[in-house]
Amino acid sequence: MAGADTGGIPGTSKAEFLRSVRDALGRTEGPPLHPYHRLQEDLPHLEAQAAELEARLLENRPQLLERFTDMAGKGGWNVHRVSGVEAAIGRVDSLVGELGAERVVRSGQPVFDDVPVDTALEWRGIEVTPIVRGESAGREQLREEMRHADVGLTGADYALAETGSLVILPRRGLSRLVSLVPPVHIALVRPEEVLESLHDLFLLRRLEYHRQGGEMGSYLNFITGPSRTADIEMTIVQGVHGPKAVHLVLIE
Amino acid sequence: MPEVKTSEFTTASAAAMLDPQLRRALDRVGSGFDVARRNAIEEVTPEVWEEWREEARSIKIHTLDHLDYYLEMLHDNVTAAGGQVYFAKDSAEANAIVSHLARSRGVKVATKSKSMVSEELDLNPALESQGVEVYETDLGEYIIQLAGETPSHLVAPALHKSKEDVAELFAEKLGLPYDEDIERMAAAARVALRDKFMEADLGISGANFVVAETGTLVIVTNEGNGRLCTSAPRMHIGITGMEKVIPSMQDLATFLRLLPRSATGQRISSYVSMITGPRREDDEDGPEEFHLILVDNGRSRMLRDPKLREALYCIRCGACLNICPVYQRVGGHAYGWVYPGPIGAVVTPMLTGLKESKMLPQASSLCGACREACPVKINIPRMLLELRHRTAESEDAQERASSTSERFLARAYARLMSSPGKMALAARLGRLAQKLMPGMPKRRGWIGRTPLPLLRKWTQARDLPMLPSKSFREIWRDELKGDDSRGGSSGRS
Repeated sequence: MAGADTGGIPGTSKAEFLRSVRDALGRTEGPPLHPYHRLQEDLPHLEAQAAELEARLLENRPQLLERFTDMAGKGGWNVHRVSGVEAAIGRVDSLVGELGAERVVRSGQPVFDDVPVDTALEWRGIEVTPIVRGESAGREQLREEMRHADVGLTGADYALAETGSLVILPRRGLSRLVSLVPPVHIALVRPEEVLESLHDLFLLRRLEYHRQGGEMGSYLNFITGPSRTADIEMTIVQGVHGPKAVHLVLIE
Repeated sequence: MPEVKTSEFTTASAAAMLDPQLRRALDRVGSGFDVARRNAIEEVTPEVWEEWREEARSIKIHTLDHLDYYLEMLHDNVTAAGGQVYFAKDSAEANAIVSHLARSRGVKVATKSKSMVSEELDLNPALESQGVEVYETDLGEYIIQLAGETPSHLVAPALHKSKEDVAELFAEKLGLPYDEDIERMAAAARVALRDKFMEADLGISGANFVVAETGTLVIVTNEGNGRLCTSAPRMHIGITGMEKVIPSMQDLATFLRLLPRSATGQRISSYVSMITGPRREDDEDGPEEFHLILVDNGRSRMLRDPKLREALYCIRCGACLNICPVYQRVGGHAYGWVYPGPIGAVVTPMLTGLKESKMLPQASSLCGACREACPVKINIPRMLLELRHRTAESEDAQERASSTSERFLARAYARLMSSPGKMALAARLGRLAQKLMPGMPKRRGWIGRTPLPLLRKWTQARDLPMLPSKSFREIWRDELKGDDSRGGSSGRS
């Protein structure tokens, strides 16, 4: 039966579907008698936890960076620890040079305002395409640029010591494809982006969700090492759909 | 729904056991996935692992017990994020919704990332009948799609294929020169599918979890095909069983720790993608439409059944397959439907009907390894026993898995065991019979195959110990009774 709230599209209406679920459970409508504790946390509660978290991160930063480096390496990243902006630019430059890359696409994330890599790369004769709002003439052109790029360059919103993952959130100047389509991904990470655990990350995201009045952003991507498969005879192959090699430049 | 071949379990499993290629493939599962899983548990320590399992289980219990409430919350939050939610009571409705969306948007090419639910719905033929080209993009799924087969494992669908099989398949279907180098075959698939990702108007994904609090769909992948499917096309449809909902985003911490470790032994998979609604105004790219289809398709039957509800806690990691002595011998296809292994032996009869799948609950030694391996501590052996009980006691002859003679024997046995007098008489008769029976003792102390009509089939694959010259009751009566020095304390009763 087509339900009124699905606008003539086939399927069961929400009311009918939920009724049948309730019926199966032998339950009457309404919230659980004992509310779920995590959903009871309001904004002040989350803010208090986040403040504790910030203090803890600040206190443990050196150990956190060690752990992150270790876990990122285990997760398949080539980790490069560098100190200072100059060294970071130099490392990106030499990595791109060693790869023999000709085309690089770069996201428009803020880290590249502080670590301007374009000039050094262009000096090598490399074509750098930054993703700038309004300048890429629509979806098709953006895609063509991705497909022909040898390297995708991004920053990160968070990094997780627990898993060695980078976490990327949507923003202007950041295509979903830049860390995915080119065969090599190079990411810049700053120490203040490193969190300890999955719990830390989800706490901060939930806080942000409530601060934004219930807006999560369209995606949140974890990236941990290269793309891989073991679908043929359980033999691991890197780079099946995403990047074959991934580098992480940690700027201290 | 795809064809249910569960009634052929006995013949299919017998054939599978004689297949040397399958043997090698299944050995790799045990030595690969299961060893990696154990190492991952050692690394976090078994104590911490146990805490995670307990927490995951309690989250699942709470959510499933209030499923209607969380589904409504999920619906509201997906809608608030700009997505559309649909409810499908069965596979026909789910396929009709996807077909409707594809038709009304003029979709020509669809790419899919791995989804067990879509296998359960038999979605691809439904879309193809609308003139839509559908491409599976997970390498294993792509291989079996080219071969016209079905998955044989929850995590590694093309497990049963050798590299030679894949090389032949790629040569035949993709017109490539025969090349059995695994790395080059993966590269060939990358090239073939890259164009499809860019061409596709529709990306279809399953979901490992959906978060009610934020309306977020979560997919866990290693290849990156899931990210491409949900990023490149202008429309994304997520399809998932209604049991995949979890209350809070914070709950994901526990599930993301358990799932990759249980599936492949990884600390986390290469990619975890969390998707909330379509692209926003400020995003550079991403789908303009996001649709989520929540599927019942027999799940409310499991929900209704307090003894089997916990099968809905399953997170499809495949750990119970990798450790199961039956799956290890017969592989996934012998189970005859979408979900193989111990959890399949519970889920399949519930989703397809006990009549059709009554043999599956018998396909277990009840050793309990699946329960131990399960990251949400599902008591699979208990449910298999429950289903066996139902197949034994059913009013409906077609649901009964046992033969008339087996039931006769079981009833006789029950009567015997509840009467000491009959038992003693039977033992005396049995001892006499085993002396008289020609050719019975195959080896000393054991009864091998017997020609007795009622026992012939049963003893084909089992040896019975011979009855000793004195039963325990006789030893007790003649030698032990009243002798407390032997450590017994119940001698007086």
